Amino acid sequence: MGQLRRGVAEYCVLALLKAGEGYGFDLARTLSEAHIVASEGTIYPLLSRLRREGLVSTVWRQSELGPARRYYVLTEMGSQVLDEFTPRWQSFRNTVDRILQGERPASKE
Amino acid sequence: MHSSKTDQLIADYLHRVRLALEHLTPSRRDEIIEDLIQHITEARSHFSSDSEAELRTLLDHLGSPAEIAEAAGVRPHTRKIEPWVPWMLLFGAFVFFVGWLIGLIMLWSSRTWRLRDKLLGTLIWPGGLLLPFMLLGLPVSSQSCEGTSSGGSIHCTPHGVLPEPLGAVIGIVTFLAPILVAVHLDRVRRRRAV
Repeated sequence: MGQLRRGVAEYCVLALLKAGEGYGFDLARTLSEAHIVASEGTIYPLLSRLRREGLVSTVWRQSELGPARRYYVLTEMGSQVLDEFTPRWQSFRNTVDRILQGERPASKE
Repeated sequence: MHSSKTDQLIADYLHRVRLALEHLTPSRRDEIIEDLIQHITEARSHFSSDSEAELRTLLDHLGSPAEIAEAAGVRPHTRKIEPWVPWMLLFGAFVFFVGWLIGLIMLWSSRTWRLRDKLLGTLIWPGGLLLPFMLLGLPVSSQSCEGTSSGGSIHCTPHGVLPEPLGAVIGIVTFLAPILVAVHLDRVRRRRAV
């Protein structure tokens, strides 16, 4: 499961940010509770990579209590990547479902 | 107020993460550490008390430094050729210089060595052991002779380019330096491969 989770975690981050900018802490808690990431801390290297790849950007916001917080925002490119992933994932998931249920996957001819 | 015990736990944790992320670029490393600090600060603000147990649970949930490093791609990317690189740098130049060049390219394209190691590997010496071997062929001292051959007595005085003992020391150091650098590069690689 580790490899599979790692592969989809970044798309889950992008999907969570689709609703609006996200705070690293909240993203980490959400994905960890959903068992998408094994541990909360691993979200930060992932966010850092997504930022370098231009799929998310960051913005600092003053918080009412405590120091300024870094928020992550989905970029145009990130949104595109997510839109490309979604139908692929659905088709992939359907295929895996069928195979798990003992069907032979439909060959594309 | 936070107790010093919990502060110490956090400092230790961050220190270990920093070590695990050692060969990321400083800006990436700082970014991740900064986010982790924010995360810990945020989580602590929700603590009922600043207890050690709560903090330890939090750090467990954050994950081990190794897990975080792995997520950052610090996986040992040791390619099969990497063990050869230090020795290619050392001896490769004897193979029409090509071996050294290939070693150099491998060294710089690898993520195993840090900039410091790469500079060491490149500068000591360009050509590896070839350079000291070539220097061996150069005269360390020259002699000038005076006198007439007809008179039978010829007076020769060595005019060292360098005084003898110093020349010998420099010669040995010139030989040893690239060997030590190769051993160092090999040790760095072994440490990373774990």
